[in-house]
Amino acid sequence: MTNVLHTELALVLRSRLALVSLVLLAAIAALAVMAGLRTVESQRDAIERSVAAQRAEQALVARQYAGEEGDAGQVGYYTFHPTWDPPAPLAFAALGQRDVQPYLLRVRLLGLQAQLYESDTANPEMALAGTFDFAFVLVYLLPLVAIALVHDLVSGEREAGRLGLVLATASAPVRLWRRRLLLRYGLVLVSVLLPFAVGCMVAGVQLVQATAVAVVAMLYTAFWFGLFAFLAARVRSSANGAMAMFAVWLGLTLLLPTAANTLINQAVPAGRGVDLMLAQRQLVHAGWDEPKDVTFERFFNTHPEWRGTPPVTVRFHWKWYYAMHQAGDDAVVPQVAEYEASLRARQRWAERAGWLMPGIAVQVTMQRLANTDLEAQLRYREQIVAFHAALRRYFYPYLFNEVPFRTKDVDAMPGFTPAPASGLADRQSLVVLLVLAMLAALCANRLLRKVE
Amino acid sequence: MTLQPRIAWRIALEEWRLMLRNRVALAAGLLTFALLVTAAWVSHEQRETLASTRAHYQALVDDQFDAQPDRHPHRMVHYGHFVFRPLPALAFFDPGVDAFTGNMLFVEGHRQNSTVFAEARQSSLLLRFGQLTPAFVLQTLVPLLLLFLGFASVARERERGNLRLMLAQGVAPASLLLGKWLALAGAAAMVALPAVLVLALGVAVGTASSLAVTTLVLVYGLYLAVWVGLAVLVSTWAGSSRNALLLLVGLWIASVMMLPRTAPVLAQAGNPLPTRIEMDIAVHRDALAVGDSHNPDDPYYADFKRKVLERHGVARIEDLPVNYAGLVSAEGERLTSEIYDRHAAHGFAIERAQSAQVAGFAWLSPVIAVRQASMALAGTDLVAYQGFLVEAERYRYRLIQELNRMHAEEVEYENDRNHRISHENWKTLPEFHPEPSSGGDPTRAVRAFAVLAMWSVLLAGLLAWRGRRLGVL
Repeated sequence: MTNVLHTELALVLRSRLALVSLVLLAAIAALAVMAGLRTVESQRDAIERSVAAQRAEQALVARQYAGEEGDAGQVGYYTFHPTWDPPAPLAFAALGQRDVQPYLLRVRLLGLQAQLYESDTANPEMALAGTFDFAFVLVYLLPLVAIALVHDLVSGEREAGRLGLVLATASAPVRLWRRRLLLRYGLVLVSVLLPFAVGCMVAGVQLVQATAVAVVAMLYTAFWFGLFAFLAARVRSSANGAMAMFAVWLGLTLLLPTAANTLINQAVPAGRGVDLMLAQRQLVHAGWDEPKDVTFERFFNTHPEWRGTPPVTVRFHWKWYYAMHQAGDDAVVPQVAEYEASLRARQRWAERAGWLMPGIAVQVTMQRLANTDLEAQLRYREQIVAFHAALRRYFYPYLFNEVPFRTKDVDAMPGFTPAPASGLADRQSLVVLLVLAMLAALCANRLLRKVE
Repeated sequence: MTLQPRIAWRIALEEWRLMLRNRVALAAGLLTFALLVTAAWVSHEQRETLASTRAHYQALVDDQFDAQPDRHPHRMVHYGHFVFRPLPALAFFDPGVDAFTGNMLFVEGHRQNSTVFAEARQSSLLLRFGQLTPAFVLQTLVPLLLLFLGFASVARERERGNLRLMLAQGVAPASLLLGKWLALAGAAAMVALPAVLVLALGVAVGTASSLAVTTLVLVYGLYLAVWVGLAVLVSTWAGSSRNALLLLVGLWIASVMMLPRTAPVLAQAGNPLPTRIEMDIAVHRDALAVGDSHNPDDPYYADFKRKVLERHGVARIEDLPVNYAGLVSAEGERLTSEIYDRHAAHGFAIERAQSAQVAGFAWLSPVIAVRQASMALAGTDLVAYQGFLVEAERYRYRLIQELNRMHAEEVEYENDRNHRISHENWKTLPEFHPEPSSGGDPTRAVRAFAVLAMWSVLLAGLLAWRGRRLGVL
């Protein structure tokens, strides 16, 4: 058996096309791993620089307004607090949405909804083409190398006039095809997984996560080899085989996802974000022209613990100002939920599209593992919401009980700590990939049996 | 080497007959044609929806602004205003960076905000696979179709032994290659026709500029001609039609999928942008270095006060004919806006440097040249977006300074805090209604023409050289 494999391997590697495409795939995968690591590194740098700068600025500003007669209202107004979403170790392999979603945001004690949607500086033209990472190589480029290796599996023998001989001498020809396919399958996988493994070691990815990605790659590659073998068994000429395979690849990785995106965006509108921002601002600013009791009543409904605190009799008081901002946020809670639900609905439909398009299933699984998907973004948003709540809880006693905010209180202000990335695999997408791979393999096996 | 136009034409006709008889080729051609029609329709609907949504919101916030009650003008400075980015008419053809930029901007006093609610941030991951627009089909899919239709054009003749026969019968190689090129170019023109028609329709209706549209058609025509030339060239070169196909698809992958994604990584690594936090902090530091209007002992504002008093010939700010607090607000706004503008311009320059670096790769990958030219001509590229930001900032400054002027001229100094001015004033303030562009500047397509001309000359030269060798063989 090893002898046969050895001969087959020599055969594959003697073909210039096969060798060049495998080397190229490995080189591109290595390049993608390096580019991913580099992007993650620069995001970490940006976070480190910005957080350090913001902390220094924060200490400076807070101390300016804190003191024996310090007013918590002023400190809260002028002090920004950094929040950040560090890339997970695996992020280098699937950068996902991290190039378009903000991973740094500074917030202050004011109404959160007016601050939450700020975006970071970014060149939109750079995001336009899409990210260049390991997931891209896996989803788009690996199937193309598979085409180069498989498109003449049967027709090549026929064109060389050897098919009759092959079928006559092999005791079970399907085993020969299977052996050839498995060998090529293994070579393609090794070409992409070796650079990936090196990248995982550099980035310090957990073994479980790296293995999960490897499993995804194995299933995805198996799907394409099965599908291509199915086609290879049917076509008469190698050129037609290559053309048919390219057409299928084009449809599954480029055309159908693009069409699906258009359909989903039409079916699930997500314009409500604008509405909630406008509503929040109307509420906050209307507060200036209403009797203070009305605003306080709204605020006490959600924050009854401050009901007994001294009433405001002067024209302006910080606690009234912050109550107004908070009442604005509280009033749009249903709209916020609706907005996030529409984002999640879009994501869910995309996942469903992955039942038919394995490239999408791979992206979904890998981005979830790497914590770079929409879910991760929403989780970051939840962390900011929680941090803002902690900030308010810290400042409210000073404001409502009218206690001076001293310099030492600056140091006790709550700080943001990012939650560790969950990085769980999306089990459903894994099952989908497994089913698709098995279906393709079964169909291929059936047809290859019948080659004559 | 002689060129026989009639023979070239006959070869082209024969090639078309073959394409029509080949069911796979015909189906692929029809599919691409249908896809282009669908893309034009869907993309047009989307543009209309987006444009009307933005116009609706702009009208809504304008009404809300005008409906504010009597107030102190400085309250309105903090109430602020929203502006929405209008969509250019040709965004249906190529939406460019639109999905990756926010479409709403909050303008207020003392601050330059970022745009919010970019479609890319609200979409599923599918957006990154591409958007179904005519530009996407023409840049990405039509070239691939041409490769599929043309990879065998010469290789097939060689494989079947027809090539030797034709040359022996006196067909000049140049005529043969020209015929094949013509046939494929004709197919390209047929498939791309819907795009030309919808663009022409835009001109006819008066929404699109004819100059921009003509340039667009020329750029895409030249781009597809280059792919046609490449397909014929590789077909003469490769030993077999199979190898021709694999080589051509390899070139397509490298130039359409790989390079456009790798170039931005390099460009961003070479020219990193400061983060928004870094920029805001730098602005704050710069502003403090000039002067702190809240600090009564601040040297800059002490000097400012002295000058104001001098100009009006009075000794105390209470004696000024205008409200001093309003003047301080206006001066503060002027200073911080200058600082903001300086930092924003710095960021813009970095972004443009990144784009220029990507443009450098256009010599290797013509799709990059075409993509940038297409966006520029549609008015949906980075420069157009930066133009919107600059225009919005100009509007913000005018609005805020107008409010500060009201503060200075209509609010009493003594009773400043409790004084409110009539809501009628809000209606007199400027509104933000820039005309949506009907197309970008055609001179921005110069690089694309240069790149495509370079490729055309290169391919023509190689084809001529190959043609001569074809005769020898």
